Amino acid sequence: MSPRREQWVGLLFAMPWILGFLVFLAYPLISSFYYSFTSFSVLRRPIWIGLENYREMLGDEVFHLSLKNTLAFTAGSVPLATVAAILVALLLNTRVRGMALYRTVFYIPSLVPMVALGVLWLWVFNGQYGLLNEVLRRLGLPDPAWLSDPAWAKWTLVIISIWGTGNAMIIYLAGLQDVPQSLYEAAEMDGARWWGKTRHVTLPMISPVILFNVVMGIIGTLQTFALPYVMFPGGQPARSTYFFSMYLYDNAFLYQRMGYASAMGWVMFLITLALTLLALRVSAKHVHYEG
Amino acid sequence: MEGIRLLGWLAVAAAGVWALVGSERAASRQAGSERVVVTYWEKWTGDEKRSMQRVVDAFNASQDRIEVRMLSISGIAEKTLLATSGGNPPDVAGLWADQVVQFADAGALEDLTDLAREFGISESDYIGNYWRMVVYQGRLYALPTTPGCNALYVNRALMPPEYDSPEEFPKTLSEFDRFVDRVSRKGPDGRLKTVAFLPRDGWGLWGMPYLFGGGFVKDGRIDVNGPDDVEAWTWVHSFAERFGARETQAFRSGFGNYSSPQNPFLSGKLAAYSDGPWFGNFIRLYNPKVDWFAVPMPHPDGRPDLAGYTWLNLNTLMIPRGAKHKREAFEFIAFVQRQPVMERLCMDQWCNTPLARVSREFLERHPNKAIALFDRLARGERAVRPVQMGIAGQIGSEVGNAVDRMDLGEATPRQALDEAQKRLEELWERYRRQVLAR
Amino acid sequence: MTKRVRENLRQAATHTVLLLLSVLFLAPLLWMVSTAIKPLDQTMASPPVWVPDRPQWENFWKALSYNAEDLGYIPFLVYGRNTLYVTVLAVIGSVVSNALVAYSFARLRWKGRDLLFGVTLATMMVPGPVLMVPTYVLFREFGWIGTFRPLWVPAFFGGAFNIFLLRQFLKTIPMELSEAARIDGASEWQTFLRVIVPLARPALTVVALFTFMWAWNDFMGPLLYLTDQSTFTLSMGLQFFQSQHTGTPWNLLMAASLIVVLPVILVFLFAQRVFIQGIATTGIKG
Repeated sequence: MSPRREQWVGLLFAMPWILGFLVFLAYPLISSFYYSFTSFSVLRRPIWIGLENYREMLGDEVFHLSLKNTLAFTAGSVPLATVAAILVALLLNTRVRGMALYRTVFYIPSLVPMVALGVLWLWVFNGQYGLLNEVLRRLGLPDPAWLSDPAWAKWTLVIISIWGTGNAMIIYLAGLQDVPQSLYEAAEMDGARWWGKTRHVTLPMISPVILFNVVMGIIGTLQTFALPYVMFPGGQPARSTYFFSMYLYDNAFLYQRMGYASAMGWVMFLITLALTLLALRVSAKHVHYEG
Repeated sequence: MEGIRLLGWLAVAAAGVWALVGSERAASRQAGSERVVVTYWEKWTGDEKRSMQRVVDAFNASQDRIEVRMLSISGIAEKTLLATSGGNPPDVAGLWADQVVQFADAGALEDLTDLAREFGISESDYIGNYWRMVVYQGRLYALPTTPGCNALYVNRALMPPEYDSPEEFPKTLSEFDRFVDRVSRKGPDGRLKTVAFLPRDGWGLWGMPYLFGGGFVKDGRIDVNGPDDVEAWTWVHSFAERFGARETQAFRSGFGNYSSPQNPFLSGKLAAYSDGPWFGNFIRLYNPKVDWFAVPMPHPDGRPDLAGYTWLNLNTLMIPRGAKHKREAFEFIAFVQRQPVMERLCMDQWCNTPLARVSREFLERHPNKAIALFDRLARGERAVRPVQMGIAGQIGSEVGNAVDRMDLGEATPRQALDEAQKRLEELWERYRRQVLAR
Repeated sequence: MTKRVRENLRQAATHTVLLLLSVLFLAPLLWMVSTAIKPLDQTMASPPVWVPDRPQWENFWKALSYNAEDLGYIPFLVYGRNTLYVTVLAVIGSVVSNALVAYSFARLRWKGRDLLFGVTLATMMVPGPVLMVPTYVLFREFGWIGTFRPLWVPAFFGGAFNIFLLRQFLKTIPMELSEAARIDGASEWQTFLRVIVPLARPALTVVALFTFMWAWNDFMGPLLYLTDQSTFTLSMGLQFFQSQHTGTPWNLLMAASLIVVLPVILVFLFAQRVFIQGIATTGIKG
């Protein structure tokens, strides 16, 4: 095939995405960029107000607070969820009977609708009657007011995020199955035990998968919306669970400030980009790629 | 060659997509009907929806030109705005009066002033406060359905003899404070068992500053931190300390859902509870054994002029901008305003009436035995309307946050309110510049 | 002998840990089941009741026929049909379009390819809320509000995550296979259809499953774009159970949720092996 032909055929095959990208991504992105410089409610034509939305953000304490909450939540939940997902994946990669069932069981929380889950968690974490505090009290440990104490409310969501790691877990599991058996055998010859094998074979081999999941986790966590929206309406208590996308949603649809919401969206995009690049930079030394 | 073949496949795929799209469009077309179909979106479900459905059925049977079709819509405010901006709104939307200003500012509502005049509907037909909730800048944007206002429900079984009847119940705040101390008690385990009243649990307590003669807006200016407001929230905040902040928090976290037998009033955790007339229905549904009476909220000492406080709310019918059958839609709305229709609807939903005229039958046969009190409060001078400003939502959010912060000990009432005031002034200034100045 | 004993011990220990963790992870589902068969007055009891005194299995039927008397039809069946319609179209669209695009990115050389692929990866970082408003305005211009089209048409134009997944997989198929097909006189289209697609089946399954789960559970899309109740999907129907004043019928809500979740759980149970293998062979690594 001549390069000229291949150029055309290549473009043709990629055409659905090129169109989709232009129509469903590039166009909305560019218009939201334009909206971010306007005052705009869905019914009125946007009015150019220059940098005012961005200037407003600088002085908007609720914006700062929601950003701080979101970053703190991300910093808490991504590492914890990563460790939990890897541990579970390691377990699910062992050879025991009934594995299909186990794997499904661990994936189930990711399949249950948020509306249904939120109610359950409210019960589990209830300060007085909650299941969790019942157990803690019996163990003689302190029983915090998980839901009504602003110092704890965010942690409640961090803990819950472990249950939503199904997709990451599955991807880790897939990564684990890709590790060549010969490497383990070699390690065993060198007398390595379970931890040694995990430390020196498994983790380096799945490090690209870890990076992928961490990056996807950061992107997803920064956008957290449904669970706090169901469990802590308005970000109670004292806005300690008021996250960035909740404030964005409120501005766009509750307060009719689409322009401001668009500007917030762009800030979120830049933050996501920065954190992703940071993750890539930090990991550059530690991630092991084959060949 | 291949390029062409590939193009061919893509064309076939496109045709397939088109066919599906076409069939979908055909499927979504309404079945032919001689009558004009008026689509009506309503937030209600369950019993409330059923009572409105009876009104719709009666209207459809009363004439043969118009057929109203009611749909329950979740997230109705957002949905209506989006559908209106999409050029495909319902003909009638059952929203709250709180949305009148914001929707009108957004250009989302049809002006009903002229239609109302034509149909002979005027201010004198309504309780003044309810009418003022649907008028904005001199124009009419909605008409009422079922209204509400609050009073204090009292659980007689938990009352010592001296508080045993509406007549004996405290009238002033200092009497009320003594009542709180007298009735609240701890269980054998040292934990709170019954608390007389908590000013953050119940409905209608939001307007607490008004109870003290303050308010959120004074002379058209946002003013959430005047001396009366600080006094009001300081009183509210005093409850968090009265029984110990942590103890109160633990006690409150044991409250069940509002509409369940574990509602703190229905389960005997709170002896007095502020709510609207519909709460009588919840008592009937979830714990009919509760023996109760209702009284007005107490008033500050030495200020009998402030007695009779009540917080109003109102369900309404609006016509979104661009509705296809505005006139027919209004015909239906006007039908709902007829006294017998409205009274029946309000009785079915356990509400008071928004109409100036009230039949004796309504007051006598209403399922809530305290309806006369609610009706009187709603007509009173001290009935308070929610803020009518485009940033009412933000006012709620800021003041709510300020109260949270007081209770958590993060700020004194004064500080928290000052900060809320500062932010609200900025928001209002910006709203005026960006939305109203056009 | 000792080896076998050790192996059995290992098995037993693993089972114990897995079982303990399973209880934790199953709790949400068990709670749903327990709530679904409770009478309403026990759903919010404190402390919570796990095993109701008198299980009410008829709740499932009630959930299915909820609101039937108001609407003249059984909404959950209608919701189910709507969901199926949207899901099937989205899965077809997603598999077809992503396979084509990933093929182009992985196995064809053309100018601008790497740049576009880089941009594609970057789009994964665009937060959904940024696009929400303009996308809504766009579909409004198309006149698609109130139809199913906003929910499935975009699937026919590919998605960054799936393109990435498939491209990684297609890159692992030796180029020699394509060369051989070409030498036999096959066109690029034939090579794609006869050689690559059959080999890519596991990866395509993953794309299909991801799309299925996403479309089946999608809440924001229907919330924004569907207006008529007869076009609601199941996830919307669930939300619909939450009423205003008269209280949420939590038991029916959970019964309905179970009806919604069950097919997805079953799909996963039977497809998990292919699913995991599919991801394993795509090798998410760079």
